[in-house]
Amino acid sequence: MNASRPVRCLLLRPIPTRPASFRSRPFHSSSSHSARRRPRSFNVKTADTGSSPPLIEQFKPYSEAEKAELAKHYSPEQLKAIEAGEQAINPQDLLYQGELRQDPFGLKYLDDLSTIRPVIDKPVRNPESNYDPNLRLKNEDEIVKDFAQWVKDLPAEPTRLDYMKFMDKRRMTVGSEKAERAPTSALAPKLPRINDPEIRYAKKDKDEDPSLVRLMQQTGFTSKDLKKIRTKNLVCHPVVNQTRMGKIRSWYYLTIAGNGNGLLGVGEGKAAEPEDARKQAELRAIRAMEPIQRYENRTIYGEVKGKVGAVELKLMTRPPGFGVRCQQYIFEMCRLAGITDLAARSSRSRNPMNTVKAAFQALKKQRLPEEIARARGLKMVDVRKVYYGGLV
Amino acid sequence: MSLVSLSHLCSHLQNASRARLTTTQTPYTALHLSLLLHLQRSGFLSSLTLGTPRTPHDPAPVTQSNVSSRRLWVGLKYYPVTNEPLITKVSMVSKPTKRIWMGADGFGRLVRGGDEGCVRGLRNPGECLFVSTDRGVMEIREAARRKIGGMVLCRVV
Repeated sequence: MNASRPVRCLLLRPIPTRPASFRSRPFHSSSSHSARRRPRSFNVKTADTGSSPPLIEQFKPYSEAEKAELAKHYSPEQLKAIEAGEQAINPQDLLYQGELRQDPFGLKYLDDLSTIRPVIDKPVRNPESNYDPNLRLKNEDEIVKDFAQWVKDLPAEPTRLDYMKFMDKRRMTVGSEKAERAPTSALAPKLPRINDPEIRYAKKDKDEDPSLVRLMQQTGFTSKDLKKIRTKNLVCHPVVNQTRMGKIRSWYYLTIAGNGNGLLGVGEGKAAEPEDARKQAELRAIRAMEPIQRYENRTIYGEVKGKVGAVELKLMTRPPGFGVRCQQYIFEMCRLAGITDLAARSSRSRNPMNTVKAAFQALKKQRLPEEIARARGLKMVDVRKVYYGGLV
Repeated sequence: MSLVSLSHLCSHLQNASRARLTTTQTPYTALHLSLLLHLQRSGFLSSLTLGTPRTPHDPAPVTQSNVSSRRLWVGLKYYPVTNEPLITKVSMVSKPTKRIWMGADGFGRLVRGGDEGCVRGLRNPGECLFVSTDRGVMEIREAARRKIGGMVLCRVV
């Protein structure tokens, strides 16, 4: 016997075990429940809790005390309206219909659906029956006739209000009135402006840079066009004006602008601040943009020469795939003008400013074969276009 | 064939064009006449008439005795709006001291825009080279087509 076994065990009687029951003996091999089955959770009946009355009893009419309390806040007429409203609604309906829907098709927000919200709800359109196929604008005679009729019908002392009423009510078309006042449209109605700091609307032209607005007016470009125009500062250095007051320093910028598709411009700017000078030069370059003639949209026509100051240069046409093999300033100009095959040679000075100006001059100096042929009275045929159907 | 007088003609045409003259006159020689006729055929000239130093029209035939008093009157052309001359540059290729002869192959290379010897090819739109062959003066394209060699006279742009 093990010594650690408590004495109690020795002294106590053995615990009687449950006698095996014949009734519980199963006739199948799977294990049986030892006890009676019970539900996992207990059902609690409303009556058992005894706390709140049934829901239907919550919707009972106002007691006298409540009415007295309401009378402190509402006038007798309002009280009457409240009572009438109470009577109009059956408490049974409130119980079964007046609850929030929890199903997937229920609204995710609180709404009594009494108003049409422009963003969420389906827009209300004018009915298609408003359409009138015979609608046409009034001609001048009919408009004049309307006006004459109005003048005839005017009261003895006409006022400005009469005229405004006439302007509001007059018809500009002949046909169904509904078709003019409430025309049907396939387009969704315009959304009203929503006053919400989270929603950002596109800025109006007023908010744009005034210099850009002026540029758009002068050039006729839209802001979308201007965004596509690329500019590049080619020359930037300080310049000094010697006066009796001393040296006045300012900044010089030379900028080119182009759309990469045959437009190129050169602009110069000078100002005390480099940023101002740069902007000035860019705007001037965009304003000075001119079309550059390109052969097959890739190279120039023939060889052209330019000369500004001591800079003398020659631009030469090249075959496809040659690339722009020339100095950096002319390279940048070609890139913005959309010229991809070109060679250049500067024979004398290579001053950057004059190089850019001379190259611009040379690019503008090209003569088109069509122009030459017309001036000489000759018939010209582009053999490449004729033989390859203009594909080369 | 005097290239000296031909170079005088070239300089004169260039100067007259730059001065925006409508007509000008040159001495009558066979070479001048054939070159000017080809210039007219290429569309560089508006008119070419035979005359005297005073008048552009004098139908008297050229004889050995009166050839010195005969003149070729040349009408020059300008672009419509810009008033730029059609003839911007006329330069001699062969010089009196260095005449340049070339075969038909060389002419072909020049026509296609390549260089041949010290002669630069035709790379500008509307550029013309005039050559003198044993079949007379002609445009280099025609000489190349007919496979005729000869002397390169002058270049007109």
